[in-house]
Amino acid sequence: MISTKGLTFKYDNQDAVFKFPDIELGESENLLILGKSGIGKTTLLHLLAGLLRPMDGSIEIDDVPIHGLSNKQLDRFRGQNIGLIFQNNHAVQSLKVVENLKARLFFAKKSVSPPRIADLLEHLDIADCTNKKVRELSEGQLQRLGIAMSIVHQPQVILADEPTSSLDDDNCNKVMQLLMEQADANDANLIVITHDQRIKPLFTKKLEL
Amino acid sequence: MNIWKISIKNFKYKPLYSFLGILMLSVSIALLMGIQQLDKSFRQQLENNLGDIDMVVGAKGSPLQLVLASVLHIDNPTGNILFEEAKSILKNPMIGKGVPISYGDNYKGYRIVGTTQDFPELYNAQLKEGRFVQQSMEVALGSTVAETLGLQIGDSFQSSHGLAEKGGHDHDEPLTVVGIYKPTHKVMDRLIVTGLETVWDVHQHEEDHGTDNEHEEDGEHDEETDHVGHDETESHHEGEGEHHHEEESQQEITSMLVSFRNPMALLTVPRTINENTNMQAALPKFELERLYQFTGIGVKTITWIAYAILIISAITIFISLYRMVRDRAFDLALMRSYGANTFQLIKMVAYEGFVIAGIAFVFGVLISQIGVFFIFEMITDQYKQTMPLQLGFQELSQTAGLVVLMVLLSIALAIYPIVTMNISKILSHEK
Repeated sequence: MISTKGLTFKYDNQDAVFKFPDIELGESENLLILGKSGIGKTTLLHLLAGLLRPMDGSIEIDDVPIHGLSNKQLDRFRGQNIGLIFQNNHAVQSLKVVENLKARLFFAKKSVSPPRIADLLEHLDIADCTNKKVRELSEGQLQRLGIAMSIVHQPQVILADEPTSSLDDDNCNKVMQLLMEQADANDANLIVITHDQRIKPLFTKKLEL
Repeated sequence: MNIWKISIKNFKYKPLYSFLGILMLSVSIALLMGIQQLDKSFRQQLENNLGDIDMVVGAKGSPLQLVLASVLHIDNPTGNILFEEAKSILKNPMIGKGVPISYGDNYKGYRIVGTTQDFPELYNAQLKEGRFVQQSMEVALGSTVAETLGLQIGDSFQSSHGLAEKGGHDHDEPLTVVGIYKPTHKVMDRLIVTGLETVWDVHQHEEDHGTDNEHEEDGEHDEETDHVGHDETESHHEGEGEHHHEEESQQEITSMLVSFRNPMALLTVPRTINENTNMQAALPKFELERLYQFTGIGVKTITWIAYAILIISAITIFISLYRMVRDRAFDLALMRSYGANTFQLIKMVAYEGFVIAGIAFVFGVLISQIGVFFIFEMITDQYKQTMPLQLGFQELSQTAGLVVLMVLLSIALAIYPIVTMNISKILSHEK
């Protein structure tokens, strides 16, 4: 469950103030945020992830007002309740695939369950990469590892920043399917920001910035 | 999974940089430790060797040489002095004990020192077996001599002329071992102690025996050790003529080891001797201080080189950590997005620095110990000196403290980007 009200943001070194429309998502509801480059999509996503602090307004995730948390509380909340997916970089380079997942759980202060990790990798079809280094993975495998990283800790919200823009149609569909499937399985809200028109039909709820 | 594991993975992720950091740091640690240890052992060994000797009186010449020759037994003596004259200085009430020594021969590189019963007492040496030397041609062995040469009570051997192992000719009269001393860890251990008479007799005999030979050789013989030995026989010869038995008043010794009864003697006695007699008096402690001033330059130079390398290694570690923080900023931002807080990331970098420092410290100490061990082996081999191989806790902790300080400094500088990290900015500029 996510709700934002009167969210505004201003970068320190810029005059422009971003004003964002209010968002109301119920249990397991997904949202697609569309918009041109530079309009503040990523900024909104980072506000929701607690990576940026709003100038004004409120953000509540599962009834926790995250705009009011201390830095440390916010780090912790983010680790436990938010899953982030990026366009290109998906995992820590120096760690192997399975180590990345373990590190993800470690930072989220959640217990590591090897069978669950194995299941997840199996499900995402990258079980054979378990002990590979991140740089040995193909683009498609990396994308799936990114998904695994965003859900291994069973977050409340999955935030995806342009997850499909560098993928071909085939992979684009697969990735979106997996994402929605995993969000569903975890009862998590999935919020995707993109300018990729291909995934538009997959969402019922859309927000145009 | 924990911070330590992640740090070690980071460390392994860039093996070349890590290796470079470790290499430089361990070299500087090895140099620092090694030179400190050598210097300390060297001083300790020399000072230890002094025993109760406060002053040494010998022929005029270099006082340092006199100390090195007659106290530490690593140099050749300055010449001989008359026993009678040397004894006269003992009349001074401030002087406690005077032990005459006379030497010029060796057996397999170990010096044969003709002296009195008082000599072992200077080093608190006690007999392990056998008895004290009582007659001419009897010897008692220091523990190292007995051990290395495998000599037993009752064994006899022929001494060689001169102080070096090779180059002298053998004397005919065999010396018989009558006693073996317990280890003193002082210079005494590597000496063969005998009576003054033995030295006199051997050379007197030699004199009678091969007068012609010796004289012919004299002109062109440049072997220094041999020459020193010659001096002794030579002066005997000149003093005695063809007399078989020397008169007491003309007997010579190499030097007189003196211990003071009153420390005030330090101020007056050496000056009196130097000004009023044909002999010179040298204070071993004072001469050693002078010696340290020479060796100290080398020690200081190496220490400064070690400090320079330490600073360079700290810079290398800093660059290694800083590169990690800068080049892999995205990875660090990712970890922040996973819920890691700033402190955890700082710990991650710090642990990596500590891993480098820790490994380098172990290697550094190891290298220094191996190095020092071989240097000591060499010294033992060449100078028949055994130095205690000891690793001082103080040096260890001092060096460790310095290394920790440098590493902490590099860490502190390297983590700055983490503290000021803007996660959002890094993550949104991922392309």
